[in-house]
Amino acid sequence: MDSEKMIPLEGRRDDPLRYGIHGVKSDIIEPHPLESAYRSSKVRQEEMKKKILMNTYGAAFPIKMELDRQILSKFQRPPGVIPSSFVGLEAMNGTLESFGFGDYLNDPRESESFRPVDMHHGMEVRLGLSKGPPQPSFM
Amino acid sequence: MSTAAESVPPKGGFSFDLCRRNEMLVQKGLKQPSFLKTGTTIVGLIFQDGVILGADTRATEGPIVADKNCEKIHYMAPNIYCCGAGTAADTEAVTDMVSSQLKLHRYHTGRESRVVTALTLLKSHLFSYQGYVSAALVLGGVDVTGPHLHTIYPHGSTDTLPFATMGSGSLAAMAVFESKYREGLTRDEGVKLVAEAICSGIFNDLGSGSNVDICVITKGKKEYLRNYMLPNPRTYVSEKGYSFAKKTEVLLTKITPLRELVEVVEGGDAMEE
Repeated sequence: MDSEKMIPLEGRRDDPLRYGIHGVKSDIIEPHPLESAYRSSKVRQEEMKKKILMNTYGAAFPIKMELDRQILSKFQRPPGVIPSSFVGLEAMNGTLESFGFGDYLNDPRESESFRPVDMHHGMEVRLGLSKGPPQPSFM
Repeated sequence: MSTAAESVPPKGGFSFDLCRRNEMLVQKGLKQPSFLKTGTTIVGLIFQDGVILGADTRATEGPIVADKNCEKIHYMAPNIYCCGAGTAADTEAVTDMVSSQLKLHRYHTGRESRVVTALTLLKSHLFSYQGYVSAALVLGGVDVTGPHLHTIYPHGSTDTLPFATMGSGSLAAMAVFESKYREGLTRDEGVKLVAEAICSGIFNDLGSGSNVDICVITKGKKEYLRNYMLPNPRTYVSEKGYSFAKKTEVLLTKITPLRELVEVVEGGDAMEE
């Protein structure tokens, strides 16, 4: 099939058992009016913060911070039982001293459909030796 | 090459998963449970040395009184308290969460929390949920800049006032405040006025009732007067007394608490000038 004729389905969650079969309508219309605001507000806040930093300290500063963020987000434990704590990342982006719903509600590790990660498989995915999601859980 | 965003595992939090299912069920003819009427009287005023907060103690589930003696004055920080009206679960979750954020902030800065910090955290949270978190709050506290009293509406708008009321009994309570409030009240006058305002809510508003809770916050000191007044005591108690069935759960093993490995020392809370 020509790649031009295909409709790209990016950003969808590939789990028909949990999220239902994908339809174009259900992808466009969100079930709750709050959902789009909830999703976009975090992105907008980060963009605004970046812009403020750029105006205050110059264009190089947020770029350098982004570089730090990428390095720190990759600094983690081997996949397995113990989750990474991301202390460096959290100290940098300020989430270390924040506390919200994400810290005590709906933890993916407490989900009933959580499957423990196989360390060898996860490591192979991280090093680019094998394909597939590093964490074969539904979430 | 994976991007940085992919390498961080997903976090939990608010989930909209069931909204689509609920919408489908409603289309299929399921009747959704309707909203339950909430009712409360909460008040606050600034007197000469600080802030006094007051609340009634009735919790309602529509026409049913669910709890006759609940607590509506929530702890935020040692120098800040917050009264909550609206959905009880929402007010408690919001105040608990912001209280944790304030504690983390105190550990970070080593200073006493300020009332505006709590106000900003509360209003930004409530605004980001666009009124779906139904918490109407009266926030009061004393910090380095003096006594402060704020009201916060469920959509995130706020007011800064010398005396404030919230909840369904707010009209009755505000009538008392507007006729009797003046600047420079003493502690006893303030407590009496707050109790009178709450009583006016208790007796004139059906959503409010039972007892009066009061919290007096002054510089470096707070007094939590739980059940300051009991204007609606129980009228009938059976002479024979009440006997309840024996507990079915029997504790067989003795629980020994773990030894504390670290001694926690509170310190550095005072603001250095």
